Amino acid sequence: MSKNLRNTSDPVVWVVIIAVTLALLQVFEKTLWLVVPALLALLLYYTLYPLVQALVFRGVERGHATAAVMVTFLILLVVAAVLIAPQAAGHALDWQTSAARYLEGGIRLLNNLLSTLEAHFPPLARAHLADVVARRLDQSVGIIQYLEPIVTGLAVGMPALLMAPFLAYFFLRDGRRFKNLLCHAVPNAYFERTLTLLREVDRTSRAYFQGLLMLTVLDTLTLAVVLWLMDFPAAIALALICAVLAWIPYVGSILGGLLVVLVAATDFPGTSTMAYSAAALFVFVRLLDDFVYMPITVGRNLHMHPLVTVVMIFAGGAVAGIAGLTLVLPVLGVVRVVGETVGIVLTDPRLRARHRHARWRCRNAAAEDLIMEQVAMPSPGPGRDIGNSTVR
Amino acid sequence: MTFKLPFLRACPLNIGYLRSLSLFADLTPPELAIVGHLLHERDYLAGEVIFDECEVGQAIYFLLEGEVTICRQGRPEDSQLARLGPGEFFGELGLLGNSIRTAQARADTDCRLLVLFSDDFNGLMDSHLRVAHKIGRQLLRHLGQRLRELGLAVGAHRHL
Repeated sequence: MSKNLRNTSDPVVWVVIIAVTLALLQVFEKTLWLVVPALLALLLYYTLYPLVQALVFRGVERGHATAAVMVTFLILLVVAAVLIAPQAAGHALDWQTSAARYLEGGIRLLNNLLSTLEAHFPPLARAHLADVVARRLDQSVGIIQYLEPIVTGLAVGMPALLMAPFLAYFFLRDGRRFKNLLCHAVPNAYFERTLTLLREVDRTSRAYFQGLLMLTVLDTLTLAVVLWLMDFPAAIALALICAVLAWIPYVGSILGGLLVVLVAATDFPGTSTMAYSAAALFVFVRLLDDFVYMPITVGRNLHMHPLVTVVMIFAGGAVAGIAGLTLVLPVLGVVRVVGETVGIVLTDPRLRARHRHARWRCRNAAAEDLIMEQVAMPSPGPGRDIGNSTVR
Repeated sequence: MTFKLPFLRACPLNIGYLRSLSLFADLTPPELAIVGHLLHERDYLAGEVIFDECEVGQAIYFLLEGEVTICRQGRPEDSQLARLGPGEFFGELGLLGNSIRTAQARADTDCRLLVLFSDDFNGLMDSHLRVAHKIGRQLLRHLGQRLRELGLAVGAHRHL
């Protein structure tokens, strides 16, 4: 079927697919309170699905298997939270101090860089580039105060994230029933094609999310090893944060790179080459990831041309900001499958004819007894009495 | 006791009836319950096309109620190949995935069908090999029977 889909793509269908994708991204941007937990739930669903299936393979009933896997996952989550909480609480108390320290380290690195540039390029020295930048940074004092609303916003949004395991549980338990319910609403003529469509949608989203998870694990491991070799503190945590930030194409990579540079500039104040080399290495790895790995892993799983993938990432960012950047690939993948299949189904004259024929038969069957009655009964004459009323 | 949304409750298929279908004859009640969750129930009106000749087959159909005619495309009266009744099944090659339908299937009377999608059968082979094996064995018996009948019809039955 997927072969058929690719063979029958035409420009009009693709224009519609891209338009629908961008429209959906705009809607999703306005409903992030639901979209983010739903996406996390999908991620959880595709992570836990193999475990549930493994239990089902051993003869455990699906409902029980789902409950067992979710309970185990939640217990592990609570244990991890209990282990991490004391350290996190300790750091939370001085997060403001730490953030300020790292920002100062970054500013110091920037000043050093600009001074070096001025020393080597007289026009920059004549323009007093270092002073101008320093004044600008002074004007934007209290960068920390910009961080506070972000942190508060995240704290407010946390309860919505609790929906994720709840949704994932129902996806795992009732996913098949929901699919059957959808199928039940489909007319007979389109039934087999719709089953194929649902299989393709499932395959597409599974490929995307599993590809994303694989990419995150690989990114974390690679970065952790590199950062550990460069003697960075908390290399694994830093690598994990950078890998998760990379879910946002391009912007996430830049933020991750910035984070690594700030840590390098602050924790290795005497050796500015460390910060430069870390930045260069990180940017190289991340750009390689965005332009090469992502299109050929996630993009290939979605059966999309790397050029389309890259262009759509930019379009998603332009339409719906960071949410658009993050969501554009899975949304495009699903809309592509649905759009192409609907295009095939609705333009198939035989299927449409069968559907019209079935509707005609349904209408006739619904009115059959009435027609027979009408044929059998003589037509009522004017003013014929029926009970107490008179029909005219 | 688990909470289930009313519209998501499993279809209350009669397990005893499923067992009367020859393809599921070897299955135990728990195994029938597993298969029951994979089946889709569809209603067709008399004269409605179930599938066309040369269409890509994705599913096997079991007849619960009513009668179905297997015929050449668009000629149910003069080229009837078979007339099936309750308990019988058709389109079994669709279970093997992406095979071309060799004839048209039409509802002769109003009928109720159960449909097993090839992808679900493949999933069954992964998740419940024993169940899939039992169904596969019955399917092979059925196909063998068909081949024997065909061989007898053309006089080439020695190797069948």
